[in-house]
Amino acid sequence: MLKKLAGAVAAAGAFAAFGAYALDVDASLSEYKKQAGVSGSLNSVGSDTLNNVMALWQEGFGKEYPSVSISIEGKGSGTAPPALISGTSQFGPMSRTMSAGEIDDFEKKYGYKPTALRVAVDALAVYVNKDNPVKCLSLVQLDAIFSKNRKRGGKADVITWGQVGVTGELASKPISMYGRNSASGTYGYFKEVAMEGGDYKDSVKEQPGSSAVVQGIASDKGAIGYSGVGFKTADVRFVPVSARDDGKCFEPSSDNAYAGDYPITRFLYVYVNAKPGSKLEPLRGEFVKYLLSKQGQQAVIKDGFFPIPSAVASQDLKLVGLQ
Amino acid sequence: MSAMTETLEASAETVPMSRARARRTDMRSRGEPALWSLGGALAIGILMILGFLVLVLSNGIATFVPKPLRVVTQTDGKVTAGEPFRSEVFKPVPQDVAQLSPEWQEKIKAANGYVDRTLYRLGNFDIYGEDFRWVPEFLVAKVEQPKNLLFIERSEWGPFIGTVKTFKVDGVDQAFSGLDDAKFTQVHEQSRERAQAIRKVERSDIGKVNRALDDGRLALRKIELKDGKDSAAYRAADTRFAAQNVELQRQYQALTEQVQKLREANAKNTLTLVEVGGREKTIDFSGLVRAYAANDLSLGQKIGVYFSRWAEFLVDEPREANTEGGVFPAIFGTAAMTLLMVLVVAPFGVITALYLREYAQQGRLVSFVRISVNNLAGVPSIVYGVFGLGFFAYVVGGSIDSVFFPERLPNPTFGTGGLLWSALTLALLTVPVVIVATEEALAAVPRSMREGSLACGASKWQTIKYIVLPRAMPGVMTGIILAMARGAGEVAPLMLVGVVKLAPQLPVDGTFPFVHLERSFMHLGFHIFDVGFQSRNAEAGKPMVFVTTVLLIALVAIVNATAIVVRSRLKKRFAGSQF
Repeated sequence: MLKKLAGAVAAAGAFAAFGAYALDVDASLSEYKKQAGVSGSLNSVGSDTLNNVMALWQEGFGKEYPSVSISIEGKGSGTAPPALISGTSQFGPMSRTMSAGEIDDFEKKYGYKPTALRVAVDALAVYVNKDNPVKCLSLVQLDAIFSKNRKRGGKADVITWGQVGVTGELASKPISMYGRNSASGTYGYFKEVAMEGGDYKDSVKEQPGSSAVVQGIASDKGAIGYSGVGFKTADVRFVPVSARDDGKCFEPSSDNAYAGDYPITRFLYVYVNAKPGSKLEPLRGEFVKYLLSKQGQQAVIKDGFFPIPSAVASQDLKLVGLQ
Repeated sequence: MSAMTETLEASAETVPMSRARARRTDMRSRGEPALWSLGGALAIGILMILGFLVLVLSNGIATFVPKPLRVVTQTDGKVTAGEPFRSEVFKPVPQDVAQLSPEWQEKIKAANGYVDRTLYRLGNFDIYGEDFRWVPEFLVAKVEQPKNLLFIERSEWGPFIGTVKTFKVDGVDQAFSGLDDAKFTQVHEQSRERAQAIRKVERSDIGKVNRALDDGRLALRKIELKDGKDSAAYRAADTRFAAQNVELQRQYQALTEQVQKLREANAKNTLTLVEVGGREKTIDFSGLVRAYAANDLSLGQKIGVYFSRWAEFLVDEPREANTEGGVFPAIFGTAAMTLLMVLVVAPFGVITALYLREYAQQGRLVSFVRISVNNLAGVPSIVYGVFGLGFFAYVVGGSIDSVFFPERLPNPTFGTGGLLWSALTLALLTVPVVIVATEEALAAVPRSMREGSLACGASKWQTIKYIVLPRAMPGVMTGIILAMARGAGEVAPLMLVGVVKLAPQLPVDGTFPFVHLERSFMHLGFHIFDVGFQSRNAEAGKPMVFVTTVLLIALVAIVNATAIVVRSRLKKRFAGSQF
């Protein structure tokens, strides 16, 4: 997936100019233009990571179409597929891809697969308390911290900060882990990619939301946790992550995410029920166009995530017959 | 003699002991230990409630006070401008301390390795990419409070901290002399008015056109479902719809042009802001909510800013994913849902209690029902939420949709969470409270009064209606008050049956049928959860959590106070007519 992302970015080819701070959307993304006769109500059920971005989209879209009402529920990516399948929601924001089982369930009912639209890029950040001096963690170390079975081959269980090279007062302190609950796509993604499908330790404190993870770490000096890059506060800091033990460490910055250097970079998705080869009807279609427009991607930046390149946007618009 | 001294000594020993025992039994017999422990428990309870109220009120009320701005120049040349948010002591890592000047090293050593740091709220998220920054004391070279530094609240991207460089009116550059510049305020007002006009056209006029288009489409779909696509009725309707469509499209075009004109006029009035580092940002005047020179405010101006923020909070809609703007839709949603719940729970609870107490044969079955009702009060509220979603929304709502709104499917109308289902779910949750309170009140009506009434020849129903129920009314009201308070503060089940993060439309508005029971709505309790635990920046959300909590508590208090006034009126009315 990383290669795919890097490829897409190379195709877009306009990202070299990104500075450290002021992130901007891909200039070749299309501007959103309002259409007549769009009215009705939409429901979105799914990811908590995308919850705020969804709300910003709803606000922006609502400005264009005041008579469209959209309601948003964000309790975890795991809630998206059942709602999409039962028809209670039209959009399923997810921070991971659907599992084979979920796709099968969908296909059983509709006869075709759900369509995944890539709407944002997230460098899944590893957070520690702001006073934690840890310089870098490799995926093997992260796996040894979070996982019971250490599928990445870490030699020993890591339970204190001293074991990952922290000196001083913190060295002897136990690592206290914060994570998401199992309904979360972030939980699933971290498990699949960072832990290669291993099991979380029982001592990982499961939190109901991305922001709750960050708040937990903010008040716990020996804490570590993972959450979307957009949820950073001044009380926590990012830990640079390296893919291999002896590899180079990368911050979860937009450059590193686009280049594919940051090893736990992912797309964030919105799933829709779209018959392949057909065009989405105006209400849903316009919303999808809005998400993948300049304005929609501005909202992504506003929420702290990274916008998608226009090549990705046009690929996805083609999937639902809008381009 | 010796025997006497012995007994004397013995009695000298026993006297104080027996006196002590007498005192103990005395205290116990007067019930003092119980009294003290009761008083203590009460004091602890009151202290905890007061502590909670003081915490919430002090945080909530202070949130909107305009705070001074500081510009901190660091020893490494970095400049931070912002509102000081809070301070704490921390222990810097030894490597960092080693790089400091000898004076600071000494100072930190003297303080056992601890040093102060301050969290600044920066604003300018679109430029910096962060909202807050910690500045340790040893990095501070200079702290200033420049009088010309402005706190500028924008409708997008949060606050801006900096100064106004220039502003443009109708595309012509103007020199900026200060916030009280007549031209500046005039243009600001004009732009805001125009923005409101745009909103009005978009909301009501364009909304109307869009709804008409949608209604036409739905009517057509209905005929298609009924008669099929090939029927004469469908074809007739289709041509009618097409004609109507053309007219509506024309109206839509005209309105969009009107909006476009207003937008263009607004786009000519811009102001260029500059932050302390010199980076600039140009925004429309219409995107400027409020600006003030934080370090140069008189007391009167401070109060003005404070109350205008409160006013915005109470009457405006939320912005920026609920972190800014107001909470009016949430206040409205909470009140509407609670009232609807009372409309359902009061008659149901009272009727059930009346039957159980007055008509039902008191026996095993009735006691069983009574125990069940009491147990219902102990069921976790989330279970009611699941029931509400599964039964009300999916089963009842789904059936309503398939019978009355087939043309809207697969988009659900009643088949998803909404105001009605939320009110019904909460009514179920609170009905035991009303039943129990009403039963107690009915039982307290003296037997003699019923017998007197019956002896005068009144029927059983007449007795209940004119004698029993009026006298039980204050007790019934108590039950309803408790139910309301519980209902207004409940969040967990609502998250499943209709409360959403952001609902653009209120459940009551000017379009037919005026009350839209199927709409999802916002709720203050959920808003607190959302802002506190789901917003992008938890730190920035915290003050809003307190403000919203103050508001929710105030709302519950007002509702309760009203009910209590009604109850005491009722009590007075019947106190006079007793014999």
